[in-house]
Amino acid sequence: MNGYRLLLRLAPRRLRERHGGEMEAMFRDRLAEARERGRIAEAAIWLHAARDIAISLPTELLHCWRRRGRVGIPRERRALMIGSDLRYAWRSLNHQRFASLLVIGMLALGIGSTVAVFSLVNGLFLRPFPFPDPERLVYVNETAPKWNLEMTGVNYHDYAQWRRDQKVFEAIALYDRRAFNLATDGGADRMNGAAVTMDFLRVLGVQPIIGRMFTQEEDAPKGPLVTLIGEAVWHERFGGRADVLGKELKLNSRTFTIVGVLPKAAEFPGGVRLWVPMQGDPAVNAQNYSYDGLARLKPGVTLEQANADLMRTQQVVFDTRDKERLVTPFARDLREQFTREFGTVASTLGAAVTLLLIVACANVAALMLARALARRREIGIRLAIGAGRARLLRQLLVENILLSIAGGAAGLAIGQWAISLLVSSLPDRAPSWTTFALDARMVVFTIATSIATAILFGWAPALHAMNNDVRGAIATTTAGSTAPVRGRRTLWALVVAEFALASLMFVCGGLLVRAYDRVRNTDPGFDPSNVLTYTVAVPAVKTPDDASAAAFRKRLVERMRAIAGVKEVGMISCAPVSNCHWGTFYTAENAPPRGANDPNPIILNRVASAEYFSAMGIRLKEGRFFNGSDGIGGRDKDSTIIVNESFARTTWPGEASAIGKRVYPGTNPPPNQPIRWLTVVGVTKDLRHYGLEQPVRPGVYLPEPLNPRVTNTVVLKTAGDPAVIGAAARAALREVDPEIPAYDMRTMEERLALSRSLRAAYSWMLGVFAVMALLLAVGGSYGVTSYLVSQRTRELGIRVALGARSADISRTVLKGSLAVVSIGVVVGVIGAVGAGRFLSSLLFGVPPYDALILGLAMVALLSTGFLANWLPARRAARVDPMISLRAD
Amino acid sequence: MKNRVYLILLALADSDLHGLGIARAVQELSDGQTRLWPASLYGTLDELSESGWIEELDDPRERPADESEKKRFYRLTRAGHRALAVETDRLGALVKIARSRLRPRAGDLS
Repeated sequence: MNGYRLLLRLAPRRLRERHGGEMEAMFRDRLAEARERGRIAEAAIWLHAARDIAISLPTELLHCWRRRGRVGIPRERRALMIGSDLRYAWRSLNHQRFASLLVIGMLALGIGSTVAVFSLVNGLFLRPFPFPDPERLVYVNETAPKWNLEMTGVNYHDYAQWRRDQKVFEAIALYDRRAFNLATDGGADRMNGAAVTMDFLRVLGVQPIIGRMFTQEEDAPKGPLVTLIGEAVWHERFGGRADVLGKELKLNSRTFTIVGVLPKAAEFPGGVRLWVPMQGDPAVNAQNYSYDGLARLKPGVTLEQANADLMRTQQVVFDTRDKERLVTPFARDLREQFTREFGTVASTLGAAVTLLLIVACANVAALMLARALARRREIGIRLAIGAGRARLLRQLLVENILLSIAGGAAGLAIGQWAISLLVSSLPDRAPSWTTFALDARMVVFTIATSIATAILFGWAPALHAMNNDVRGAIATTTAGSTAPVRGRRTLWALVVAEFALASLMFVCGGLLVRAYDRVRNTDPGFDPSNVLTYTVAVPAVKTPDDASAAAFRKRLVERMRAIAGVKEVGMISCAPVSNCHWGTFYTAENAPPRGANDPNPIILNRVASAEYFSAMGIRLKEGRFFNGSDGIGGRDKDSTIIVNESFARTTWPGEASAIGKRVYPGTNPPPNQPIRWLTVVGVTKDLRHYGLEQPVRPGVYLPEPLNPRVTNTVVLKTAGDPAVIGAAARAALREVDPEIPAYDMRTMEERLALSRSLRAAYSWMLGVFAVMALLLAVGGSYGVTSYLVSQRTRELGIRVALGARSADISRTVLKGSLAVVSIGVVVGVIGAVGAGRFLSSLLFGVPPYDALILGLAMVALLSTGFLANWLPARRAARVDPMISLRAD
Repeated sequence: MKNRVYLILLALADSDLHGLGIARAVQELSDGQTRLWPASLYGTLDELSESGWIEELDDPRERPADESEKKRFYRLTRAGHRALAVETDRLGALVKIARSRLRPRAGDLS
């Protein structure tokens, strides 16, 4: 029988209360009847009863709704009540226009910055790759800790070995970014492309729009020249016509046949517009590491299993080529590979913006609470004359929702604007498939945030205020006495929290700005002023041998030197801070044999013309730069070399001078032929080749005649602004050869700025957040103190009447609020020193307890905190006892 | 008119009954076809008394402690009688038409 009573609990309340007993009796009757017919009939009764109650629920709802139409408050009047709620809310908000705008503004700032940063994080980390099952995609590369290289690039032979042997991947492929000169009617275009192996599309899980992927024959050495073009190229150059298959493209002065068109989604790596087969030769087993690997895990295979399997397949290589086990393969999550650089930055920004939102919400809460406390009397009176609590609460809720919707809308607008600002400030660094835009999720997030804010921070204080008993509320406020202790305490706690968070953010922001300043003032090791660089792509067919390559470069340099305003012209294989790297090994003469565990750092290898050094403003530590006679014997004779300080230090530790010492390329002497020695003629100061924040690697320069086909970057030292030379340089290049394009044309200042852009962006953002948090905290503190002072008018008036001087009054007011501010600042600064440790990877050597920043933060916060409280305190001091005693 | 409403009104036509009595009478009237279950029975009774077709009898006995323990007797009102009559006429007319339609046709006999 208890069972039915439980069932009855589910029934509509009205029914249960009115007829529960009878219903039970009736059920009992039925059950007794059914028992005689056996267990199955009994179970059927239960089922019927349950169904009966389940059906009664919607019926009852419908019924209630209908009945409400007839009795109680007529529906028309209900609508009017919502209207009146809205009208009343509007009037009340409009009445306190300044406070309302303050709340809206604070919410908008908090929400706007959260939206912006969340879009950033969303674009980088949350939005999936545009490929099926993106979580199964992994990045594959090889690492060589002993060469001081985290990633060496994949060796084609190793890849072939993995592909044959592996058991964990559905498919594995290599890709290699390549740039192509695309011959057009008017000259040449530069187009980014990639060489890929045949399984590339299988890994990505993408199908060509038309045509097909490369076949095995096409991806073999000396295979046919074929290409896949991207959707964009298809539309731009072929008008999206289906007969594009079989058409020809002239790439790097060779003719390629188009075999297929890939959809936009296949644009991997980012920015790639056409693809050619890699055509690697697995038979060549050499120390040549340069490709990137991409693989798709079989379903259910973990990353650990994949890594273990790669190591297993690599065993053959360890047994043959790499007996020292120097280079080992690894696989990691694809997204992780592309967002590593942004990880700390994104989490720091995320933390900062969350703190900012919390400060904003604390502020809103404080303002709302003050408002609610100030309205205790109004609310008390309304309760006393019979207003329903529910009605009052609804009304306050309507007010808060109005405020938060306005704040949320303004926040979205601010966020949108901030995103566009952000995107423009990190141009080339972000992975290119990421888009930073507002999406539906963002809008939902914003709406949820604003409504949660309304309820948590607006409504809760209202409840808090309403919990006072009616009589108390009317009595205390009529007496014009100070705010209730509980409300005051909550207000102070909010101010402490705000100042603590603001100082935390101020210190962290300050540290990052200081770190940025330190990075900016780092000596790059060259003179970036008035230097223009660009790269020419010389197809191999144009300069088939060293002699023709040297002749072409001689013509080019002479023509460039003839441009008005150009002072010097140098050629280099790889300019500083332009994301290029070419590593090899060098062995010093009489070097002790290297132990198996000795590090063998890879050397940054560059080929430079004699004029390069003065054009780039590289400084000499000792010896001399190249002159016209270096390397003229060609690559078969002994020659000269210039090394950097790091090279000299690591190769000949403890020796005063490296001049005159000899090295040869490679780790072992070449078999069956004499060693070609390179004699050190100069030692340069270290140069920040990989960017201002990156460590310096040992590096060398070889004279241009040794390898004249790699010096493709032209360096122009100009008399005036280098940017204006660009057009003249392009024109001059066309005169030398109209089919060769110039690309990546930038001044060295631009390159440096670009290498700093990410840091500049986030330091700047954190700085802005810190200032915003400070403003919010100051505003909050000002609002709270003003409110408290206005509540104390009567008390202060009495004090003045009793002979207190205005200085005493100010001091009384200030003392309390400054104590609160100081507690907040101290707590925040202590917290900041702790938090600084998490930032240390971003701080570029600035200690988290940097005295200057800590001191500055304290001074800034305390002085603004003082100012925020001084204004209300001064107002309090001017209280006229007569007026204030008469008030109320 | 819903079947169960018609049957409830019919059950109350010749005697005043309480809930359980109505359920039994309905089962009898419908030849065992319609069994009313508590929630729908009392829900319908509430609905009918609200629309004024039936009314609760004043209970001369003292009230039990719990309101739901109270046994309620219902009586058909004048409006209820009228509604029942109208519906019966309608059903009667309908049955007549149905009968005439269902009369076996000549062709079916052969």
